[in-house]
Amino acid sequence: MLDRLLNSTRKVSLWLTWAGGTLIVLSAFLVTLEVLLRKFFNISLGGADEISGYAFGVATTLAFSYALFERAHIRVDALLGTFPKALRPIINFFGLVMLIGFALVVVVMVWSMVSDTLENGSRSITPMRVPLAIPQIPWLIGWMLFVFSGVLIGLVAIQRYLSGDENGVQELIGVKSLDEQIQDETV
Amino acid sequence: MLIKTLLILLALIGLAVPIAASLGWLGLILQWTDSPMPLHRAISDMAWQTSTDFLLVAIPMFVMMGEILLRAGITEKMYDGIVKWLGWLPGGLMHSNIGSSALFAATSGSSVATAATIGTVAVPQIKKRGYNESLFLGTVAAGGTLGILIPPSINLILYGLLTNTSVPELYLAGFIPGFLLALLFMATVVVACIVKPEWGGEKLLYTWGERLRALPSLVPPLGIFVVVVGSIYAGWATPTEAAALGVVASMILATVNGKMSIDMMRQAIEGTMRTTAMIMLIIIAAVFLNFVLSIIGLTQALTDFVTGLGWTPMQTMLMIVAVLILIGCFMETLSMLLTMAPLITPIVVALGFDPVWFGILLMVLLETALITPPIGINLYVVQGIRKAGPMIDVIKGALPFVLTMFVMLGLLLAFPQLALWLPSLFY
Repeated sequence: MLDRLLNSTRKVSLWLTWAGGTLIVLSAFLVTLEVLLRKFFNISLGGADEISGYAFGVATTLAFSYALFERAHIRVDALLGTFPKALRPIINFFGLVMLIGFALVVVVMVWSMVSDTLENGSRSITPMRVPLAIPQIPWLIGWMLFVFSGVLIGLVAIQRYLSGDENGVQELIGVKSLDEQIQDETV
Repeated sequence: MLIKTLLILLALIGLAVPIAASLGWLGLILQWTDSPMPLHRAISDMAWQTSTDFLLVAIPMFVMMGEILLRAGITEKMYDGIVKWLGWLPGGLMHSNIGSSALFAATSGSSVATAATIGTVAVPQIKKRGYNESLFLGTVAAGGTLGILIPPSINLILYGLLTNTSVPELYLAGFIPGFLLALLFMATVVVACIVKPEWGGEKLLYTWGERLRALPSLVPPLGIFVVVVGSIYAGWATPTEAAALGVVASMILATVNGKMSIDMMRQAIEGTMRTTAMIMLIIIAAVFLNFVLSIIGLTQALTDFVTGLGWTPMQTMLMIVAVLILIGCFMETLSMLLTMAPLITPIVVALGFDPVWFGILLMVLLETALITPPIGINLYVVQGIRKAGPMIDVIKGALPFVLTMFVMLGLLLAFPQLALWLPSLFY
């Protein structure tokens, strides 16, 4: 049950990451167009910087959860090897709790900020006067998905730990091995 | 307060708590113990401002440019092309390792990607051409560090953000030291191979005709570099806009090479967003921590403490460099940059040094950190590609280049103009 929920959450995270990345690609084209028009025709679209800023913010938080599943959030594991092997799952779990705990503090604050935005109908203080709710709601969803995935990963890790599945725990919350890192960074 | 802060930070990082959470919690703990105001309420606003900052849009764009170029099928041809031009030098292929790393790093920005990609192409050549294995591996590890300094560097953007320094100015300042360091690496190889000719492997001589025919393979990476860095230097584009140009140019290049596909873009996007999410979460936490540190007066206290020691500015600077070299042996570079830059730069500026110059000095220190044991990620990457043999080979091979980096640090300390001359022409 939990495992199935975990897998669907992982899939949703990946889809949202693709969507966010597509926004970045589109922003790249928009900004390029802006630069070329400005340079060669002296025309400005106006707002390309603002729009790509929103795209960036939304894409970033939507990818937090994916990065968590990929164990991409950097940890310094210099000392980890010196701890007894039996302790390592506990330390890995502590790392996850700290990460998600911090994100939870942010989510609570962001939640109240976005409610204020909705209540006041806030708009950006630029010529475009973008209703801030449009970028802020998906941005908040990214933060919430991050916390949700973290809690889920934690629960499944406990389940696996109790059933003695050490590799399963490592796959979820361990520090990435060097081979995995090299694989990530090359083709 | 200083000692407490340091102890909490060391404890969190030492327990392998993710860096973003370590910095974030340090901020939260300090505001509970030392600040009368609920500073954490500012966190949402800071997170929003930071994650939509147009300057930082350059991060996913530069990362994506590198991810696309990695898949655009230019690396091997570029390596072969550089071999034809540099293979005659004592040390043969080792110069190509450094040269192609410099060129690849200029467009990629990830030192792991640079060392891994060049390493994969280069390492099989060691046995084939009879090189000294250790030194050869050292050139791959050291060459991979160049990306931090040679523009467009993401680390320079982060430094600019955290210390309120102009990124275009930093990019201008990094240009000469970046290429000078690459030349110094090559000089190191030449010297080593003159002293010990048997290390140098087979010399590779090519005709001018072959060299000229190899030029087209160098055009794509150079072209991208010119588009990106040139548009900034010419004043056509901000760093972020240049990064967007780079993404579009690399997509065009991939299309021309027949490598463009939905699947390729999907992989490039996954790689980009994984890196971006990781970096941005740390930056959001670091921005919050710096806000707390300056409100509770810790940044000022540290500056007062150091300037109150009564040392001359140069003595203090040498001490800072020594401490950072030591920290670099144990800390991963991104975390080191994000924790150290906001704390140390105010001290350095108070002593009368130029923040742009210090940014460049710090980048060379970060490069050193990548190849100093026990924690130097490039050493492990090179060892990981080689798969066999003892780790100490790589460490020994990288050592001459660590010394070369010290020479570079010395040059920057003695002649700040190396970094500051180019920006002074523009600003």
